[in-house]
Amino acid sequence: MPDPAVARRGFHAGRAFGLLAAIFVVAFGLAVLLLAEDQQRVIEVNGRLQERTFPEIIRYQRLARNLEQLRQEGERIFAVSSHASRQQSMFVVTLIASHPSVLEHPAAAELAREAEQFLGKVVGQSARDNQRPAAHYDEWRRIAGRLGVQVDDVSIEGINLAGNDLQQVSAVMNLARYKLMAVLLLVGLFLAVLAVLVRHHLIHPLQRIDHALSGLSAEKPAPVFNTSRLLEIQAVEEAIREHHDLLVQNEEIRRGLESLANKDGLTGLMNRRHFMHSAEMELQRSQRYRRPVTVAMADLDFFKKLNDTYGHAAGDSVLKAFAERVREALRQSDLVCRYGGEEFAFLFPEISTAETAKLAERLRAACADNDVPLSDGRRVKVTVSIGLADASECPIEVALRYADEALYEAKRQGRNRVVISGAGVVTNPIQENP
Amino acid sequence: MQRLLLVLLLTFFLPCGAGAEGGRSVELRIVVADDAAPLAYRDESGQLTGFSVEIARALCSEMGASCVFDVVPQSDALPRLLQGKADIVATGVFETREQRGKLILADPYYRSFSLWLGPADASPGRQGVRVVVVGGSIQEDYARRQGWDVKAARSSGELTRMLVAGEAQAALVPMIAALQMQKSRAFRGLGLAPIVLRAPELSGDISFGISPYRPQLKNDINAALARIKRNGTYDRINSRFLPFRVS
Repeated sequence: MPDPAVARRGFHAGRAFGLLAAIFVVAFGLAVLLLAEDQQRVIEVNGRLQERTFPEIIRYQRLARNLEQLRQEGERIFAVSSHASRQQSMFVVTLIASHPSVLEHPAAAELAREAEQFLGKVVGQSARDNQRPAAHYDEWRRIAGRLGVQVDDVSIEGINLAGNDLQQVSAVMNLARYKLMAVLLLVGLFLAVLAVLVRHHLIHPLQRIDHALSGLSAEKPAPVFNTSRLLEIQAVEEAIREHHDLLVQNEEIRRGLESLANKDGLTGLMNRRHFMHSAEMELQRSQRYRRPVTVAMADLDFFKKLNDTYGHAAGDSVLKAFAERVREALRQSDLVCRYGGEEFAFLFPEISTAETAKLAERLRAACADNDVPLSDGRRVKVTVSIGLADASECPIEVALRYADEALYEAKRQGRNRVVISGAGVVTNPIQENP
Repeated sequence: MQRLLLVLLLTFFLPCGAGAEGGRSVELRIVVADDAAPLAYRDESGQLTGFSVEIARALCSEMGASCVFDVVPQSDALPRLLQGKADIVATGVFETREQRGKLILADPYYRSFSLWLGPADASPGRQGVRVVVVGGSIQEDYARRQGWDVKAARSSGELTRMLVAGEAQAALVPMIAALQMQKSRAFRGLGLAPIVLRAPELSGDISFGISPYRPQLKNDINAALARIKRNGTYDRINSRFLPFRVS
């Protein structure tokens, strides 16, 4: 017998879902790495902003402050009347124009140098003339105006440094947002696919298995499955099919055992225990619905003498022959059992005592009119006495006792007859001795 | 189990506590001069102040350290630092070629250049012109290298006095010292003209010197300096002592 596991075609659930999980982890991991890359870029730009751009902005602000200071010192040179004050301002102008913070910005350095030279010339001339340098003020205003514009330009240059970094951060954040949406979409897609696969390969097969198990019975055909792709599900389905086969086998065995337990081994009729149980049930039903029901007791006449004369094998043949006649004479619904020895009990549902008497008489006549062939070729005539009793209003034991009393009456009256309890002899055949 | 938990908690929190305690107990010994206005001088009430002094105080405040100022002649500042008698020298150290690699310097806290202050008709180094410099300064080093007739002063204050007294006809001074000298009526009366010397060894970054015995201070000082430059403290101090931005 081939190993079912070898014959199965499919895949293990653990491996399948593990593969799915691995694909997801790889995809999600890549997405997270992409996001982490963006985050790293934001951190880098932020670090650059903190470490380089902000100091640069501050440097530009200080340059702008120095240019503005230079302009103010120039104004002071024209405003003050003291030559010493002009010299002091000129000295500050010289320092500012020579300071590295100004020199490192070419445009600012050139303008500062021009202003320094102009103001130096003005201060020198005012010292020689010993008067305020008002004559050159208009020219100074032009230089001062250019200094003002340069201050604005330097300020804006500094601010623009931050603008570039912030634009980069903004671009990275926008990109990260799209990536995040893609990641969420990926997660959603994976969950949807997972849900579909779980539903298709796990939930539906399990529901079919549950349905099959709840209806599993020996009376019903073996469940048919749409074979799953998952080996584990296939194994369960196979196990259910095997379980159903076992149920069927067990039911057949149970029926065989029940038959053995309920039948008389010699005649094949019910045994007394099974008859009493069945008769009790039938009697309850008939009495519940007020339907007529009759019981009977039958006994083969002179059976002991037959045994003594022809042997027990002959007696057995007679019992079997009588059982056969009973089966031929009675209706399908009638119950009959070998009550003990050569004694038989009957229950006739849905039929009155009078009608039962006709049936019993037919049986009695069939026995009386037909010899029973023995195994050695001889033939014997066997008659039967039957007692009937109405059972529609009393327990089975009582009804059978009445029937037994009627049987006794039939025996007393000469055997080979049918007697109804409380009604006397129904049939009066010619008395025959075996 | 509770004991284990306690040990873990102690392990986790104790170093933090110790660090915080250590942070509070840090004391920095800072060497300054008191006759180098506007960098370091005593105000009307005798209180030590100046651009370098206040920057040093701001750094101490940023680092959560308590600072003790030792006032020494400018020429003694670096030797004390190298001997381990001070943690920081705040007299404004310009790293010369010879000092390179021997001194631990913080990031620069201002940028400077040097001025020749001399008679209008006397170009730098002219024969017959004696130039006064602060002893131990890069200006002295430069002037001597040039072969000029050099006279050394102990401080910029003394340098001004020597000029006014006629002991020298010219001076080679750093930018900020020149600013201070300009405030003196007697100096202005000399009528000395400024000439900016562009020699690279006379201009550049000025830093605080750090003790070679406490090199770890460098990172703390640099971080604190970056913070005060960003939060406006530096500029307020700059405006208080100097007419323009020197960073």
